[in-house]
Amino acid sequence: MKTILKLFKKDYTLFFKDKVALGLTFLVPIVLIYIFGKVFGGVGNGDERLQLGFINKSFAPVAKKLERVLDTTKTFSLIKTYKDDKGDIVLYDTNMIKNHIRSGKFSSALIIPEDAYTDTSKSLKLKFFYDPKNQFETQLIDGMLQQTIMQQVPELFQKSMMRRAETDLGKEAGSMFNSEIARTVNKFYKVDTSLILNNNLNTQSDTAVNIGGNNMFNNIIDIEKEQLVGKDVANPMATRSVGGWAMMFLLFTITGSATSLLEEKKSGVMIRILSAPVTSTHILWSKYLFNMSLGMIQLSVMFLFGYLIFNIDIFSNLFNLILIVIAASTACTAFGMLLASLVNTPRQANGWGTLLILMMSAVGGAWFPVSLMPESIQFFSKLTLVYWSVEGFLAVLWRGAGFSDIWQYLVVLFGIAIVINLFSIYKFKRGNVF
Amino acid sequence: MIQINNLTKKYKNITALDNVSLEIKSGEFFGLLGPNGAGKSTMMNLLAGYIESDSGSIKYNDELVSRDTMNIRKKFGLAPQPLALYDDISAETNLKIFGSLYLINNNELKSIIEEKLNSAGLYDRRKDLVKTFSGGMKRRLNLIAALLHSPEVLLCDEPTVGVDPQSRNAIFDYLQKINEEGITVIYTTHYMEEAERLCKKIAIIDFGKIIAQGTKDELLNLLPYKEEIFAGKNEKIKTIYNSLANFGEIIEHDEKYEIKLQGNFKLSDIFKLFEDSGIEYSNIDFHKPTLEELFLNLTGRRLRD
Repeated sequence: MKTILKLFKKDYTLFFKDKVALGLTFLVPIVLIYIFGKVFGGVGNGDERLQLGFINKSFAPVAKKLERVLDTTKTFSLIKTYKDDKGDIVLYDTNMIKNHIRSGKFSSALIIPEDAYTDTSKSLKLKFFYDPKNQFETQLIDGMLQQTIMQQVPELFQKSMMRRAETDLGKEAGSMFNSEIARTVNKFYKVDTSLILNNNLNTQSDTAVNIGGNNMFNNIIDIEKEQLVGKDVANPMATRSVGGWAMMFLLFTITGSATSLLEEKKSGVMIRILSAPVTSTHILWSKYLFNMSLGMIQLSVMFLFGYLIFNIDIFSNLFNLILIVIAASTACTAFGMLLASLVNTPRQANGWGTLLILMMSAVGGAWFPVSLMPESIQFFSKLTLVYWSVEGFLAVLWRGAGFSDIWQYLVVLFGIAIVINLFSIYKFKRGNVF
Repeated sequence: MIQINNLTKKYKNITALDNVSLEIKSGEFFGLLGPNGAGKSTMMNLLAGYIESDSGSIKYNDELVSRDTMNIRKKFGLAPQPLALYDDISAETNLKIFGSLYLINNNELKSIIEEKLNSAGLYDRRKDLVKTFSGGMKRRLNLIAALLHSPEVLLCDEPTVGVDPQSRNAIFDYLQKINEEGITVIYTTHYMEEAERLCKKIAIIDFGKIIAQGTKDELLNLLPYKEEIFAGKNEKIKTIYNSLANFGEIIEHDEKYEIKLQGNFKLSDIFKLFEDSGIEYSNIDFHKPTLEELFLNLTGRRLRD
């Protein structure tokens, strides 16, 4: 037992030796739990507002009420206007709202057409345009929209049911049917149905949702759905997610490779290399080139694998895909080199690397749509290279975007790389590696 | 010729080298002897151009040696104190990597590697991963990796650390051979035996300062005595105690006398005294002074303290 205790103590002695790495052992899970909690915990709690393009062309009271409800709900943030080329704020029309969905400004839009609900309508007509680049987001918006309508505009359900009964059975029989139903409900469920028959309805009721469900919803709300993007994508799920996962693994690979500088320093190989006619600039350039090429190869292999196994279309927009691959690899390399320039030991590099990569992946949208995160987190999303890379890959693979649509991703990624590289070179020249 | 003038290097509050001046002639086997932390590796790193001094200069054949002088680096080869090798690749690939840094033509490099591996007795293990090598084999590989570009000066920073006596002798023989071929060898060690055996000229360094330099004989001449005689304590010795004091200082230990011979006399005089007193030779031990004793004499500490 004494021997075991001695060995036990030895492990703790070694564990406590590198104070920074020790701190990271505890800091990494704490920070990640906090970040994940913020990222995932906000969904459905009203912290986030789902962006929804919106046009209301109808003058029907129910349409006005629906707009008012969607406007005031905490679930949605309605986007009704945009800035035109002159910088003027203009109301959306159908074509423009479709264009903006296609270009990725937001993923869904609800249109209430002029004839949405007339005096003879048995259901409310709506149009729903969407880009399922984030399937979860699209499903969530769809579901929340249905729930909001059913909960907040229940008279719609009630009116529609009554009109349908009168149409199908005739005015007299329908009226009798409605009265009979009302009496039965009143008798067995103790509900005052006189309000329904008098059309003086309680808008706070959620009865419709409880008894109707989605099948009932389909009868009273006629939503014409149109998928604007990705209709021809062979494997939507794989195409949507490949960029995020590829970026995360690339970051781990590049970081490991960049921090090999620290291993070389520790082993003494760096002394030998620098005693040859080699400068620190030579070493840094070679590392940059190696890591960038490694990144490009790794991404290419991953996309090729996606093509072979999941039928992801990588060839129809190959040139633009290559541009994003190069930009993403360059930015990842810069990140890895920055990490190597800031830490002192390989163990610290591993700790910081794991923390930052998982944080960037979570916040940057590698696992989960950024649009569903709280706004405070979304601000940080745009500061990560993962966000711009994932958006770039989505644009190219999902939307088939051309150069004119992806240049901003390239500018941001190369910009990130330049700024980080300049800083890391500055740190390398003054740090401990050389 | 390497001229080191008033070289100073500090790391934060520690002065690793303090106004050091040395002169090392071409073809010399020069030893830098000192305890751990004396500044030997700092000196080697400065010579290799790995670090920059705070003040002073190093010149090789009148050309300044610094981090920026690439052509000088081609003339120097460094075998660093740590085993500066990639453990997970073969010996041959290691040498290819390090040789290629000197932009040696591939075919030429291949034959150089073959020759060096043969000379170090590692040719048969050239395809094996370095991590499977013994400490001695790694040290030899570490050494030949510094010689691939045929340097004029070889910097050996404690090349026998962690090496068994047999491998150590092999390294000594190898270094002596290349020195005889004309390569200047600068050798750091804290083993005085190594410096004594290998180096024609030795500088003793302590706390970043050169406290003595010269050939071994010149250094030993700095001692106030030349040789020592140890004589086991017995009645016969005690009878000649006063006579022995005429030959030098006597230090009394538990079981023997230590006589540090000083002054001008013939060794035969003292041996005659022993003989006349009936003292047997087996009771007498003649001892020549060492650099360890010089270091002790100069600093009050042992080399390995």
